[in-house]
Amino acid sequence: MRNIRYANMCHWKSIPYRKIDNFRDFYYEDRSNIAYYSDWDNILKYQSALGFEGIEVAPWDLADILPLFGSPEKFAEFAKERGVEVIGMFHGAHASHAADHFDEAVSAGREAVDTIVKFGGTYMNTCPTQNYYGVGPLTRDEVRQCAKVMNEIGKYATDNGVKIGLHNEFFCAINFDNHRELIESTDPNLVHYCVDTAQIAIMGEDILKFYHDYHDRISTFHLKDTASQNLPDAVRYSQDPEITDDGTRWFWEPGQGNLDFKGLYRLLKQYEFKGWISVEYDGSPDLLASMAMTRYFLDNELRPIYD
Amino acid sequence: MKSENIAISLDLINRHYQEPNRNRYESRYFWEELYSLVAASGFSSIEMPYEPVWQFGGRSGVPFNRYCINTKYGDVATYRTLLKERGIDRVSGITFDSNLFMRNANLDFYFGATGHFAREALGYAAEIGASYFAISPSPFYGRMAQYHPDLQNVMEDFTARTVKLLSELAEIAAGSGVELVLRNEYWSLFGPQKIVSLLEALDGKAKMDVDSANLFIAGVSAEAFIKNNIRQIGCVHLTDTNFTDGNNIWKTANPEFPEGRATQVFRDPGTGSVNLESITTLLRDELDYRGPITCSARQTRDPFRALTRTRALLNQLEK
Repeated sequence: MRNIRYANMCHWKSIPYRKIDNFRDFYYEDRSNIAYYSDWDNILKYQSALGFEGIEVAPWDLADILPLFGSPEKFAEFAKERGVEVIGMFHGAHASHAADHFDEAVSAGREAVDTIVKFGGTYMNTCPTQNYYGVGPLTRDEVRQCAKVMNEIGKYATDNGVKIGLHNEFFCAINFDNHRELIESTDPNLVHYCVDTAQIAIMGEDILKFYHDYHDRISTFHLKDTASQNLPDAVRYSQDPEITDDGTRWFWEPGQGNLDFKGLYRLLKQYEFKGWISVEYDGSPDLLASMAMTRYFLDNELRPIYD
Repeated sequence: MKSENIAISLDLINRHYQEPNRNRYESRYFWEELYSLVAASGFSSIEMPYEPVWQFGGRSGVPFNRYCINTKYGDVATYRTLLKERGIDRVSGITFDSNLFMRNANLDFYFGATGHFAREALGYAAEIGASYFAISPSPFYGRMAQYHPDLQNVMEDFTARTVKLLSELAEIAAGSGVELVLRNEYWSLFGPQKIVSLLEALDGKAKMDVDSANLFIAGVSAEAFIKNNIRQIGCVHLTDTNFTDGNNIWKTANPEFPEGRATQVFRDPGTGSVNLESITTLLRDELDYRGPITCSARQTRDPFRALTRTRALLNQLEK
């Protein structure tokens, strides 16, 4: 039994078909490669063939997935038939820092947990509030309010077999100055942490030190690389910095940036991490190529260290 | 009818569905080069979809709502100046559909969100100098049925609320020099067979946006439809298709991607089965139609090829 299983965080845009039965005819309509990216049947098979046995969906996928499949359960069943299980769903806890938004934030979190349970998932990686721009800097009371919401959602999640993992973005109102304060303000029995390696490195954390410090809180990872560690406040706190005007990428496939993943895997071994790791390909022009590139890197560089 | 007066819709960029290299569509640089390439293809007038979704999640590189324009350019006037510098003299029209807001069983949410963002879009259309605001009068029939399995029971109420909303939008449009036109999508609750009665309920406050591919798919003769309704036509979309809906695909949840048999429903203009020459000849020579005409290559597999294909078609039609 391996200690680590690998999933993909779903960054596919809308996939319009469940399964294309007339693949050759569809291809010949325009002789382009669009047929290769248009049905979940093949998307999930690509994942399965490349050894990614899990998929973490995103809430923005639901508007398309639910009408297409009818229900979370039916999508999960379809994925399972192709060797992929839904491990969880991302969640954005919008405005959880605002005391007057408490009920709404908790209610939305609980609804997301319910959806994850229907998918058969067990992870809810949660961005603690919205972007810094227009909101930050947060007061200490606002950080505590975020923690209060996370604890409340965490309790409901735990009762339903789901692990909520704080997931920071480099542009979030929870940022370098209050990131650890938030973690330490939450109940470790209810609220865990999903390390997005690139996001926290861009924010200014050293990923090895961070994992060393919080290894007992870590439920899972979003594994991705970056060549843009420690971006200045002026970038992180700007309006909509994630997608750049000139196409500069913050995120890269593991091995294409300069994060010390081998060092991280030595720590995973030291602390005997067990669970799922989701690989993310935000900003990739070719998600299938990114998946294959990552699989090679995992098999040849990281898994020999700790599997 | 001079082809230099015909606009091209920027819906030829596939923002929403997966394809290799789609990520570039979310960055500003892509669009700013695109405007120049559109102009180089002989189009100085463009139509733009208005899509609130880009306001959420920091995707403001896609220039399809006021938030995005303000974020990247400061205001609409500065954006118009940039378009002009790139060879785009005008934004002829703005399109809007409400599918984003049909996501639960709460019709108050649907009408509240649709009304809010449609009013915002209409204000934007006026400020950017558009002559028409083309709105889809309903979400996908199948998406509505997903959340309202008792669709027949709520249809009367839904229609009444739709008429009320459209009446309000038409008055705002008229007051700001923009014409409200209703799109005749084959998947609509008010498809080509019902759009005329919806217009009658609006008492002349709005006109019709005739889309040739949508008529073809619904099995309606575009020439006959246009002749019968010419006085109510406020906009024409030259679109192409090979698809005909023999299996009630229009009632499915994702009707532009026919389940059971995958196909590209909307083809690049001139590459499908719609007789666009007959339609443009009718409009020009027989009916003396002087209103806006827009070409759309939505669902194209290659937007740059679609631009030149459309230009080639218009050159042919002008001969």
